[in-house]
Amino acid sequence: MSSIADGTGRVETRPASQRRSLPVTAKLALLALATAVPLLFAGDYQLRFLAEILIIGTAVLSLDLLVGFGGLVSLGHAVFFGGAAYAAAIASQALGADIVVMLAVGIVTGMVAALLMGIVVMRTIALFFLILSLIVGQIVWEVVFHWREVTGGADGLRGFPVLTLHTGFATIPLNNGVALYLASVVLALAAYLAARSFVTAPIGRALLGTRERQLRMSALGYSIPRIRLMALVASGAIAGAAGALYPFVNQYVGPNAVHWTMSAMMIIMLVIGGVGSLYGAFIGSAIYLGIQTYVSSYTDRWQLVVGLVFVLTVMIMPKGVVAGLKAAFGRRKDAERRS
Amino acid sequence: MGFYAVQSLNALSFSMLLLLTGLGLSVVLNLMNFVNLTHGSFFLLGAYVGVYWLASGAPWWLAFPVAFVAAGLAGFLLERFPFRQFYARTHLMQVLLTYGLSVIFADLMRWGFGAQILSPEIPEALRGVVFIMDMPFPIYRLFIIGFGAALAFALWFVIDRTIWGAVVRACVTDRGFVETLGLDTRRIFTAVLVISAGLGGISGALGAGILSAYPGLDEEVLILALIVVVAGGLGTFRGTVLSALLLGFAMTFSKVWVPEFSNVVALAIMAALLVALPEGLVAKKVRQV
Repeated sequence: MSSIADGTGRVETRPASQRRSLPVTAKLALLALATAVPLLFAGDYQLRFLAEILIIGTAVLSLDLLVGFGGLVSLGHAVFFGGAAYAAAIASQALGADIVVMLAVGIVTGMVAALLMGIVVMRTIALFFLILSLIVGQIVWEVVFHWREVTGGADGLRGFPVLTLHTGFATIPLNNGVALYLASVVLALAAYLAARSFVTAPIGRALLGTRERQLRMSALGYSIPRIRLMALVASGAIAGAAGALYPFVNQYVGPNAVHWTMSAMMIIMLVIGGVGSLYGAFIGSAIYLGIQTYVSSYTDRWQLVVGLVFVLTVMIMPKGVVAGLKAAFGRRKDAERRS
Repeated sequence: MGFYAVQSLNALSFSMLLLLTGLGLSVVLNLMNFVNLTHGSFFLLGAYVGVYWLASGAPWWLAFPVAFVAAGLAGFLLERFPFRQFYARTHLMQVLLTYGLSVIFADLMRWGFGAQILSPEIPEALRGVVFIMDMPFPIYRLFIIGFGAALAFALWFVIDRTIWGAVVRACVTDRGFVETLGLDTRRIFTAVLVISAGLGGISGALGAGILSAYPGLDEEVLILALIVVVAGGLGTFRGTVLSALLLGFAMTFSKVWVPEFSNVVALAIMAALLVALPEGLVAKKVRQV
């Protein structure tokens, strides 16, 4: 992943396996099939669960922009996501819950939060960035937790109007599993495409450059804080869009959504899924939330299971489960071929 | 007047806990270049050991050495596997590994010690209060201040003034060179990590008298300790002391003056400090090339 310029000035940001790509139509067909399968088999509860996986996965995807491409490990990422969730929840009570309005509110909140955080955080690097983003995140959590009149304090907010989609001639209520699931599929897909175009655009290359060769980048005249700030704002916008839909899936948003443990959870998901792969965000979120939801019905020790999976991933498959499994199977195939 | 004197002593006792925990963390970070986020778990383990020891009726003063040994043992085992494999890795990988481990330990301790809040039985000798300008102040907190100061001084003395400290510091500068002198640097690193973990344990046992012991305390303490170490400036003993005092006083007095938003104020002070001095309070002199 960390391959830099290969002499032609181009940066390969995708893993090798993705490079032999299928035709676009085949990809679209596969995608449509993958989207449709749960609709046939899953009930309302499972569809809502899938929607949650996709929404949180989208937030993790936005974190991947920072961690995987900028080398910026933020422990304050929940501020963008949770802040947008609160903003959407509060705005919905005054403006009604039109999905376009909600997304706009969320994206703006995420971007503003990222900008403010960026101004504070950008001066520092490495361990300082980690700690400072953590402190800023905790300040926001304290405010959310204590400002009862607006945020509901420890109880959080619940009871929002129904999320709706205006299509010009009809208004579709998005209050069932199917609609929420489809909405989050669209969100996740749009976010993935946005993140990918960011990464492949010159700004994304420059971001990689700031991670790999900081000194050389500044010698070339790039302003490193500015590149990082732009990445932070882009990431905040995606996280904000995800956050805007989050309250409507469970009809609840609580202070935990902005707590630093939420940021840490996102990092865990990202590492399990694969840092710098973008798609891994969704896999990590599915694995984590799957363990949380299904293991916790058998035992109270689900955090132990999550921790073990995480530590094993870090130790054995630092590039994430997908890349790790691929490498393991690839090695076996190689061995078979040789024998 | 008496009120502020007592509050200052409160702040000082809390600063002492922060200092001891922070020192444990910074010793490993500065001397071994290893970010150990399981340090909060050592603290909580020490706190639980302290609570159970003091409840068992055994000689009370042994509680602290026992907490040191228990956490030190945990550190020793962890150092063997898997910390040792991660010394050469990036900070990010170390953060991920140790944070994952701390999640596991948090859950194991919740399993073993239960989820309720446990407060230790303060031993007879340390119970009660003394009057400072007509204001009562718990003896136990005075004990924390004295014991903590002694411990911190001892650590500083060993690292800064003895041949053992010199060896450890030499390992930071050039590990290969120390090896050529016939010293086993792996053993030295093990010793440093055990001492760091033990310090975490002993501060937990001390702190349990004020903070109690409960699931989640490990993370709270870890965050404060990290802030202390980073805000103080990496690689400086003085910086860690200063920032522990600053954070302790900021947290105590913001609780007195603005109880509702005490943590916001204290955190904002530390954030402002980091923004103003990104290198920390006391920056190590480095040559920029």
